[in-house]
Parts: sequence; C-alpha cells; structure tokens
Amino acid sequence: MSRQNLKNVILRELEIWRKRPIFVVAPLAIMAFCSLFYLTFLGDGLPSDLPIGVVDNDNSSLSRNFVRQLDATQLGKVVRYDTFAEARNDMQTGKLTSVCLIPTGFNSDLQANRQPKITIYINGLYFVGGALSYQDLLTMIYLTSGAVQKQVLEARGIPASQMQGLLRPVNIDLHKIGNPLTSYNECLSTNMLPGTLQMVIILILIYSLGIELKYNKSTELLETSGGSIAVAVGGKLILYTVFFTLLGMVVEVLLFSWMHFPLAGSIWNMMLDMLLLVLASESCAVFIIGICPICRFALSLGAIFSVLSLSFTGFTLPVEVMPRILQGFPYMFPLRHYYLFGVQEIMYGSGFSGWWKEVIWLLAFLIPPVFVLPRLKSAFVKLDYPKN
Amino acid sequence: MGGLKKWFGDAVLICRRELKRIVSDGGMTLIFFVAGLGYPLLYNCVYHNGILEDTPVAVVDESHSVHSRRYIRKVDATRELRVAQKCATMAEAEEFMRQRKVKGVLYFPEDFGRNIDECRTATLSIYADMSSFLYYKNLMLGANFVMLDEMEKIKIERYGAGGMSDQEISQLIEAIPYEENNPYNNTFSYSIFFLSAALLLIIQQVMFYGVCLMAGTVREEGSSYLRLCDRANGPHVGSVVAGRAAAYWGIFMVIGVYIACLVPAMFGLPQRGNFTDILVLLLIYVTDCVFFATAWSSFFHRRETVLVTLLFISPIVMFLTGFSWPATAFPKFWRLFSYIFPTSFACPAFINLNTAGCELSQVGNLLNGLLIQTAAYCLISVIAARISRARVRGACPSL
Repeated sequence: MSRQNLKNVILRELEIWRKRPIFVVAPLAIMAFCSLFYLTFLGDGLPSDLPIGVVDNDNSSLSRNFVRQLDATQLGKVVRYDTFAEARNDMQTGKLTSVCLIPTGFNSDLQANRQPKITIYINGLYFVGGALSYQDLLTMIYLTSGAVQKQVLEARGIPASQMQGLLRPVNIDLHKIGNPLTSYNECLSTNMLPGTLQMVIILILIYSLGIELKYNKSTELLETSGGSIAVAVGGKLILYTVFFTLLGMVVEVLLFSWMHFPLAGSIWNMMLDMLLLVLASESCAVFIIGICPICRFALSLGAIFSVLSLSFTGFTLPVEVMPRILQGFPYMFPLRHYYLFGVQEIMYGSGFSGWWKEVIWLLAFLIPPVFVLPRLKSAFVKLDYPKN
Repeated sequence: MGGLKKWFGDAVLICRRELKRIVSDGGMTLIFFVAGLGYPLLYNCVYHNGILEDTPVAVVDESHSVHSRRYIRKVDATRELRVAQKCATMAEAEEFMRQRKVKGVLYFPEDFGRNIDECRTATLSIYADMSSFLYYKNLMLGANFVMLDEMEKIKIERYGAGGMSDQEISQLIEAIPYEENNPYNNTFSYSIFFLSAALLLIIQQVMFYGVCLMAGTVREEGSSYLRLCDRANGPHVGSVVAGRAAAYWGIFMVIGVYIACLVPAMFGLPQRGNFTDILVLLLIYVTDCVFFATAWSSFFHRRETVLVTLLFISPIVMFLTGFSWPATAFPKFWRLFSYIFPTSFACPAFINLNTAGCELSQVGNLLNGLLIQTAAYCLISVIAARISRARVRGACPSL
C-alpha cells in the first residue's frame, strides 16, 4: 500500500514538473550558466598583463631596460607616465595595480654604488592584482640587483663556479599541494559550483514544498500519500535526489575530467561527497519549511541561509580568521563539510580515513528534519499558518 | 495643470500604497530590513579581523645544523607563521598536514647546513596547503622574509671572507634598495578590500530581490500597479513608475546612508572620502538601482520566481565588480555583461571615493556610466509599464 502511495506521489510530482517546468529547467539553466561563468571568467586561473604604472625620472638606458624587462613579464604590463601625479591619479581610480617610481640619476648612482632607491606603491584595494604586481615588481628589482652584484663580483675575478653560491646562498623549492599552478580558477570553481548547486537545491525544494501550502494543494498531496507526511515528503525527495545528484555528478565530471583540475584521490569519492551534499542540503530545505511553513517566508530564510553558506565555507577567508565566537557557526552549513571532505580528497587523496568525520557531519544533517515533519503535517492538514 | 496635479496625486497614492504593502508583508520586511540592515553588520563581524596571523607549519630538520635551527627560529618569529610541530620525518609532517593541524611543511635536507658552510646554494623545500590562498600567501611571505634575511646575513659573511670592506658589502648587497607603500590597505587586510565592494552590492541585491518579489506578488494577486480602484481610466504610466520608484528610493536612501556611511564608521573601516561626495554617489546609485529593479521586475509574474531563479547571480555580480579578479583581466564578453549591473560602476566608484580618497571628479566616468544606465532602465521601466497596461486593459476592457 505504502509503496503504491509512494509511487503515486512520485507520479504526481512528475506531473507537476510537466506542468511547471521551472523545477527542472531552472536548476539546469542556473548550473549551465554558472559553469560557463566560473570556468571562463577566471580563464587560466592567473591574471596576466596587470597594468603597472612606471614613472621613469631617469630615462637612462638602464632604467629603460628595467622597464622593458618588467613589461616583458607574464604578469605585468607597463603603463608609462611623465609625472607621479598622473600615475597616482590612475592608481587612486583603480586603473593601476601598482606604481613604480624610478629616481633621477638611477643609472649613474647605481654605477657609482650610491644605492638608488626605487619606490613602489601598491594598490591594496584590488587584492589579487595588487599582490601579484607587487610580487612581479619585487622579482624585477631583485633580478636587477642580482645582475649588478654579478658584474661587480666578476670584475673582482670570482670564478663562475662560486658565483651561484655567492649570489644565491639560500633557495626555496616550492611545492604547492593540490594546486600546482596557483590557479584561482581551480580554487574558486571547485567550491563555487557545488555552492551554487546547494543554493539551488535549498530554494527549489522549499519552493516545491511551499507551493503545496500556498495553493492549498497540501491536502491533495497527503491524500495521494495515504495520509503519511513521510511518504509525501519522501516521494518528492526521491525524485529530487536523483535529479540533483545527477546534476552534481555532471559538475564533478566537468571540474575534474573535462577541465582536468588536479585531483589526488578518486572522482568516485567526490561523487559520494556530492551525493552527501545533495542529501544534507535537501534536509536543510525540509527543516526550514518545517519550522516555518509559509512559502514566502521560508524562501527568504532559505535564500539568506544559502548565501551565508558561501561566506562561511572558509575557502576564501579561513574560519580561524573569523571572530572566535562565530567559529562554530560554519559547521551549520553542509557546504563547509563538503569543502573539508573535498580538501582531503582533492589535495591528499586520503580516502575514507581522511574524510569520515565529514561524512558523519553531513549524515547528521538528515536528523533535524525528522523532528519538524509533524509540524509540517499539521500545516499540511490544518493549513494553520498565516497566509501572508 | 489639472493633468499635472492628477499625475502627482496618483504618484503619491501609489507610493503610499507601495510603502504600506512593504511594511505589511513579512517576507518583504525580512528581505528589505533584516537582510538590508543585518547583512552589513554580519559581514563586518565575520570579516572584521581580516588578517590571518601565525599560520601553523611543521618543520622537518634533517640537517641538524646551526643554520637550519636559526632559520626555524626566525620563521617562528614572523607574523605570518608559527612552528607548530617539529617532526623527525617527512612522513610524520605529511600526516600532520593531512590532518590539517599544519598548513605547510618546511623541509631542510641533510646537506642544507653543509652547503651553506661550503659556500654553495642551500635549498630548502616548502610544501604549501593550497586549500585557501591566504595560507599559501602567509607561507610564501613568511618563508621569503626569512630567506631574504638569511641571504643577507650569509652574503655579508661570504663577501667579507672575499676581502670586501663593510661599506662595499652593504652597497653591493642592497644595490637597489626599494621602499614599498601600500597606501590604501596597509596590512593587505582581507576585510578592507572585501567589504568595500560588498557593502554597496548589498543595496542593489536586496532591492532587486525585494522589488521583483513585490511585483510578482501584485501580479499573482491578479492585481496590477496600473489599476487604481477609484479611477476609471487608471493612472498615468509615468506616475505609476514614479510612485513606485519614490517608495523604494525613500527606503533605500536611508538604508544606503546607513550602509555606506554609518557601517564603515561603526567598524572602523577607512573613510577617506568626502561625505557629500559619497552622498552624490548614493543619490545616483540608489536611483539607478530603483529603475534597475523595477525594469527587471516586469518579468516576474509569481512572487517566488525571482529568488528561486536568480539568487545565484549575487556572487557572480560580486565578481563582476572587479574587486578580486582584476577588471583588466575580464574576458570581453563578461566585461560587456557586467554593464547590466549598477554595481559594476558604483562599487569601483565607492572603493575609489571612500577607501582610496578620490575626489568626485576623478570618478566622473563611472558616474556617467551610472547616469546612462539610470536613463536606460528608467526608459525600460516605462515601456514595460506601457506594455503591461495594454495587457491589463485587454484583460479588463472596463478599465
């Protein structure tokens, strides 16, 4: 009997999908658009040709060479200025990521060992551009300085075999685990796309349950389910879980197979992570509509919740930077656990031993909705909620 | 004259009706007031600190030399890094890293100290956790600072041994000294750069969702802004657009001043701009947002559609302000796409005015962009109202 009811609920839901395709079309369109956006917007993952303003007060062959070399770097593109005031104006209005000031007499001072000072102004308001052009400038200064040192040492008759040790006594061999190319694209897309999916799941599901209340169809739904709220909600959830999991799997394939983002572990484990994220997000949706069975209100709550989860996940700003009192807060969001699971799998390929805790967390999200089902049922039956 | 009076009368009536509708609708108050007033506070609390300090790292010292020990001590002393674990083997350090107790590993190979003693290049390895770019940045900064410091120290010794005088050495080591300034964001604080962009974004997004939600509700109830029960012919299209706009404009000028002036003051964010300049920007920006929202709201015939279908756009709009990924690196298509949103002009303008201390004339281009956008959206709003008026009349010939 119950199996028949479940089937009826599913068939009813399919009929709703047919009549109002928004439930299927919207998630597909949103995910397609976001994939297109995040994966193309950030290009190769590292910006190039950042505008760096240069005020060359010396105009000697040496300073011109410095400027040319700076222009030739992958990161920088030199914009020349006659006066500092012009360059400052363009930096203030965000057109430049940094400004480099070469003093008068740069060449002659350098030849005479008088240590001419280069002044750098960084535009810290545009984080990525500012930090990268700063790094680019420092590298150029360091290299030029090294060239001068090399010349002097050569003049002193130091043999080439000792040169390297004198110029560069310590070297760092850097290994970037999980993102060897420092790609911003990898860092962002691997989290923003699942983040968008979780947002879509929460909103669509709240809407799907909410319109039953809104258009007084909830009693009809309960009749179809044989009076059981669990069957009514479960029937809907089965369909949505299949749909969203498939969508999520496409996202994972897109990220790790099509875009070839580095993945130390297995894509199947990421699929499991996605399945758990889908389930936990669905639970959040049921919980929200359960504690607040008013479609319009629950949707606003769901919207606030899912937008906040993007900030609280910790992939942009690590959780430990947040005020101590708020540091427990991120654990309330399924996306946080998806991210922690992903870090283990993507960066270390650590398998079950690395992410089992996150699995428990994500499964724990399935419990709270159970407690609000009775409330949802009473709303479904008695329609005892404010209509506005 | 009578026509003008009626025009104004209708506009005032519609404005009052809209205000009443907003206040009496729970979902609306949640979005307009709780989100509009609460989000800036919450974001400020979350991002207030903005600087990551003392990122834990593990060290594996197989060289056991005086040089590696000195290096480790210096790393521990940096603002960016803290030596949390001293491991005997790489395997142990890897395990700490996998457990995420440390966010990076410094590995000193066996020959590290010997290479320094024998005047060769000594190489140490760094393994960085790339799960957040801030960890990576700290690891790079901390390790590089120490490396530069160590190099200088070692070079002084080596050049000295080669028979150079102290003065020659110092001139040579720092052949080109540099002075760095980061005038707008001294400490590279995440909060200053993030919040400067996010604050104005909140105004636009909250208004957009709220207004579309409202329009959907009105249409869902079978009603229309173009219908006034006591008027046989309905109000003039212009007064409907103006009346609605006035209601939203009034609310959001207050929220706008709160977000752009009061919140930064409350949280100690930089306010280098002139108050009147910011106010001028707000006047134009809020007007633009009002027409932006009313123009788009004509597409929504159900209350819930906007949140379900367009909430995802918020983070995208945030990226399109160019606050993190530099605008010069935008692909062309997305740059054109960004011109749809008022924030693409207003956020850079606000950052420049408020945080970089620009004068109004310096952001003239951005303000012009906003003004052109305002005119365009105003026109679209009026056209949309005309179209829907035709539809309302068609459905109900008595109007």
